[in-house]
Formats: sequence, structure tokens, C-alpha cells
Amino acid sequence: MLSIEHGQDGNVVIAGRLDAAEAASAQSFLDNMAGVVTLDCSGLDYISSAGLGVLLKTQKRLLAANGKLRLAGLKPHLVDVFTYSGFDQLFEIEPGR
Amino acid sequence: MNAIRHPTLSRHDLEAILDVTKALAAPFDLTTMLGEVVAAAKQVLRAERGSVWLYDEPNGELVLEVATGIDPVRVPWQSGLVGACASTRGIINVPDCYADPRFDSRVDKASGYRTRCMLTLPLVDHKEVLVGVMQVLNKRDGVFDADDEALATALAAQCAVALSRVRMTSALIEGEKMRQALEMAREVQMSTLPAAMPSVPGYEVCATFRPADLTGGDTFDAALLEQGLLVVLGDATGHGIAPALSVTQMQAMLRMAFRLGADLETAFMQVNNRLADTLAEDRFITAFIGLLDPATHTLRFHSGGQGPILRYLACARTFDRYKPTSFPLGAMHLSSLRPAITVDMQPGDILLLVTDGFYEQENGRGEQFGEARVMAIVEAHADQPVGALLALLVDAVKAFAEGTPQADDMTAVLLKRDLDLRAERAFERRIDAIPALVEFTAGAFAHLGLDPQLLPRVDLAVEELFTNMVKYGRGSDAAVKVRLQAVEGGVDLTLIDRDVEPFDITRAPEVDVRAPIEAREPGGLGLHLIRRMADRVEYEYTAPTRQSRITVRFTSAARWGPPARTRGGNAVD
Repeated sequence: MLSIEHGQDGNVVIAGRLDAAEAASAQSFLDNMAGVVTLDCSGLDYISSAGLGVLLKTQKRLLAANGKLRLAGLKPHLVDVFTYSGFDQLFEIEPGR
Repeated sequence: MNAIRHPTLSRHDLEAILDVTKALAAPFDLTTMLGEVVAAAKQVLRAERGSVWLYDEPNGELVLEVATGIDPVRVPWQSGLVGACASTRGIINVPDCYADPRFDSRVDKASGYRTRCMLTLPLVDHKEVLVGVMQVLNKRDGVFDADDEALATALAAQCAVALSRVRMTSALIEGEKMRQALEMAREVQMSTLPAAMPSVPGYEVCATFRPADLTGGDTFDAALLEQGLLVVLGDATGHGIAPALSVTQMQAMLRMAFRLGADLETAFMQVNNRLADTLAEDRFITAFIGLLDPATHTLRFHSGGQGPILRYLACARTFDRYKPTSFPLGAMHLSSLRPAITVDMQPGDILLLVTDGFYEQENGRGEQFGEARVMAIVEAHADQPVGALLALLVDAVKAFAEGTPQADDMTAVLLKRDLDLRAERAFERRIDAIPALVEFTAGAFAHLGLDPQLLPRVDLAVEELFTNMVKYGRGSDAAVKVRLQAVEGGVDLTLIDRDVEPFDITRAPEVDVRAPIEAREPGGLGLHLIRRMADRVEYEYTAPTRQSRITVRFTSAARWGPPARTRGGNAVD
């Protein structure tokens, strides 16, 4: 299951599993965001290529409007996924613990 | 200064004393030796009768063997003439016994013999140890004089040494007899243990019995009966012959009861009650008695004071600890019984029945091996065959002991349900099926005892491959089969998809992960990630059934790394 909602300081808090079954709901939530968006990933347990696709599409849209998507609190096993997909070069990543 | 009077020994006397010395050198048993001593005294001192009282130091008594088959006469070691002699270690010459208040006339009354005069001599051996007291009665020609006293003293010294030697020899012989009796009891005990472990489909059974030097009272049993697999572990109180024989008796009774068709409760109660009738008041046997149904994996057991009973739970890597259901067997009669404990043996679970000899083995500092060490070893080596696991446990106890001798029998029975090697389920070809897929994968990991560190990678691969099949196999209605198979050091993930066109994932184009963001697209990323996570990726297409089969191997050794070896599939008939 996935939860995605507004947090404090304009952050977006995402938690659970961002997989193919949840990609659509995450996408529609992020489509409404603008500017510099920090995604608090400290509760995110899992991400697959479908989830990476959601983040990529959002990043492209925000960059085109001088905004960006930052990822905070990413768990170590998810950092691996970003590294081996080259996505660590597409996002500002602040790893968590 | 006292003048020392040398006795005037006649040539005849001297010969008699030398003959006595020769005669006393021969016997090894006490009865013969006592006869020789009395005969020598009678001959040398020309007396009508003689007797030897032996000093029973532990009981503080003097003991007179009257005749074979009759209880010996016992007197406190300080009472009467013999007592006075023993406590003063001095010779007592009584010319008229019935005039001496210390004289005990009861022996005369019993025998009808009349004691006139009497010499009473202490028997003190060369190490100044009191061996007993010799009495010589009724000199043939008058009363005993000073020459007789001197002669008797010389004779007494010879007799004391000879008796002392015989007593030591017989103590050795008694020890040897005891040792032989223990050995026989041990042999009986060992002979009732099962010669081989029963072969139980889906289970491994293993046992060990390592006797201590002194007989302990352990036993075990493992036998496949009509009621299921019987597992017994018993430990009788105390050491020596009695516990060795009583556990043997219990084991035989149990076998008999179960062979006659008894259920667990009946067998437990009946055997308990028979043992309560036959065992000595202060004896009892702690015992685990269990029956496993290998088809349903249900183990039911009663434990009479035997514990702790441990079950290693493979999926959680923890232990369940069970308490006894009753008091030890034979302690007293049972008229009702608490319900048996039921344990559902899961794949990879190990039932650990281990006697005190393991837990209570001490090292040089007086510390015990303890439960925690037993559990740590089982947890660390739970994936080994139980035989190897048990050997490790025994070795660990030996190493811990640091040479401290084994004080008790070490007995153990280990029962392990085979770990399933494969889990498989079919999933509807819909993205909605992903939560069920995730649940299946996590469940299979626990069920198969797979390394949890591999789970995130397998989870990811399952979803990526399944999602691809949903996306690209829209023409098919067939369910997608997902299978996890335990392999050496890891797991093989297999997805099988039917009624589909071939799509060899091993030949899918590489993703350029260094491309600028404008050029990046989500497509192909999943397969790229799988190739980086897995040890090996295989694809196989079977044309007649239009089946795609993808197998991905993950091992603990490999983490993220260079792309996996791949083997693309040609059509297979």
C-alpha cells in the first residue's frame, strides 16, 4: 500500500510501496505540485521501475518550469535502486538512515 | 624400667607359629582366613575354642561371624570384654570368666558351652589399625599364663596383618563386582535403545546417547508405530544400577503399551501408574513422550517433569519453550491428566529434546553450558542436517567443559521437519494482483527459510517481470505462475507465462543510465535493474504451448553488481 500526502513546510510525504499498482495514484498527486518539491521518502519501503517512471515524469515537468523534485530520507536499499538506474544523477538525493 | 619377659618357646611352639604364618599367607577370602586364625590360636595356645570379632569402624561395632547363614553377633565396640580390649588395645586375661562382671554369658547360654578362662587380644595390624579382637577360650590344662600371653601377642600380630590384607583384597573384589554389575546394567540400558533411527517421510530424526562413567539413567526412543512417530526421552533420578534399569523398564512398558494400540494419554497414565507401583519410594523418571503424525505435522506430547522442551521455529528464527504437562513418571498415581500439548511442526522446525547432561555440563569455573548456548548453536546451524547439528552441539559441550569430566548421561533426540524447497502460486494477469504477489513472496521467504536480505531484490524482480507480462501479454487469459525455489545460498525466481509471443528479456536493449534527463524514458529500466541485482537470468520459450519461462537467480553472496550472466532461450519442443 502507498500513502502520499502534504506534510509540513510544503513537503510531500510518501510512504509504503511505490509499485506499478500504485503508480497512477502517485502520479496524479504529483501532477498537482509545482515549484521546488521535497519528497520525504523516509517512510518509503519500496520502489520499482514504475515508481521511478512517476518520479522521472514529475522531474521533467518541474524542471521545465524552473522547479525541481528533491528526495529526502531515502532508505539505503532504495538508494541502490537509484544508483543502478542512474537516477541518482537526475535527482538531488539526501539519504536517510 | 619394666623387665621384658621373653616367652620360653618350645620347638613345638615355634613350628606351630611358623606353620600358622604359612597358612595365613594363602587365603584370599575372609571366611577361610578367620578359620585359619582360630585354628592357629587353638593349636598354639592349646585352647578348646577361639573366635575373632572384626571391627566395623563405620558402624562403631565389633562383629562376630557365628556361622554361614546366621546373622552375625554385633556389639558396640566399647562394651564387654571384647569392647574393653578393643578400646584399650591391651590384652585381657580372665582366669575365671563368671567372676568377671564384663563377661557376657549370653553366647554360652545360646551354645550350651561353658567358658572357664579366656584370653582376649587386640588385633592391630602393622599400620596400627585395629582390625578386630581375638578370643581364646578354655586352656586344655588349666588357665592362660604369662607365657601364653606373650605367645598369643606374637600370634595376634601375624593374624592382624593377614586379616587386614584379606579385608583390603575383598574390598577390591567388591569394587570390581560393583563395576561389573554397573557394566551389565549399562549394557541392558544400551541394548534397549533403537539401533537405527526410523525413516520418516518429510522428517529427519537423530539421537545420541553419551553415557557418563557412572551409570546415569537416561534413555530415548524413536519408532514409527501405527499411532505415528513415537519419540521418547527419559531421565531417571540418581546414578547406579537402579536408574539404568528403571528407565529400561519404562521404555519397554511404553513400547508395549503403544504396540497394544494405546493412545498417548492411556500409555502415559498406565506406565506412570505401573512405575509408581514398582519404583522405590524416592525414585522417579522425568520423561517426554510424544507422537507425531507425519502427514498432518501435528506433534502431541506429554512430559512428566522433563524440560525444557524446545521447538525451533524456522520461519521466525525463534524458539518456543514448553513446560511439562505432569509430574515425573512413577512419583505417584495419576487418575487424570491435563490435555496434551499440541505442536504444529512447520517446514524447517526442529524439536529439541536434550537431557540435563548437556545443559548442566560444567567448565573449570563451575559455569554450566546452559540453555542459551544450546539455542545459539541450533539457531546458527539450523540449516544443517540434524545429525551434523547434533555433532556440533556435542562438540560445543566438550569444548566448553575444558576437560571437566562428564557428570551425567548426555542424551538428545532431534526431530526436524524438512524445509520445503519450493513455493508456487498462479496470479491473475492484472496489475491489481501485485499486493497478493508481494504477500506471496514474503510468505514464501518465511516458509522456505530464505535469507531475508534477498527479499527486497526478489520483490523488485517479481514485480518488474510480472508487470511486463501484464503489459505485453494482453492477448492471453492464462494466469501467470510465480515460483520460488530454494537453491544453495539463495533462491531461483521463476515466472511462467502462457499463450504469449516470445520476448527474450536477455536480448532487450541496454538502458543508457548516463543519458541526460531529456533522453531518459522509464521503459526498460525494470529489466536493467534485474540484470544488475541477479546472479543469472535465463529465458526459455516453448513454441507448442507458447510459453515464456524466465528464471532469475539471487544469492546472498551477490549484491548489486555488474550485469548478470544471461542465457537466452531458443524454442524448446
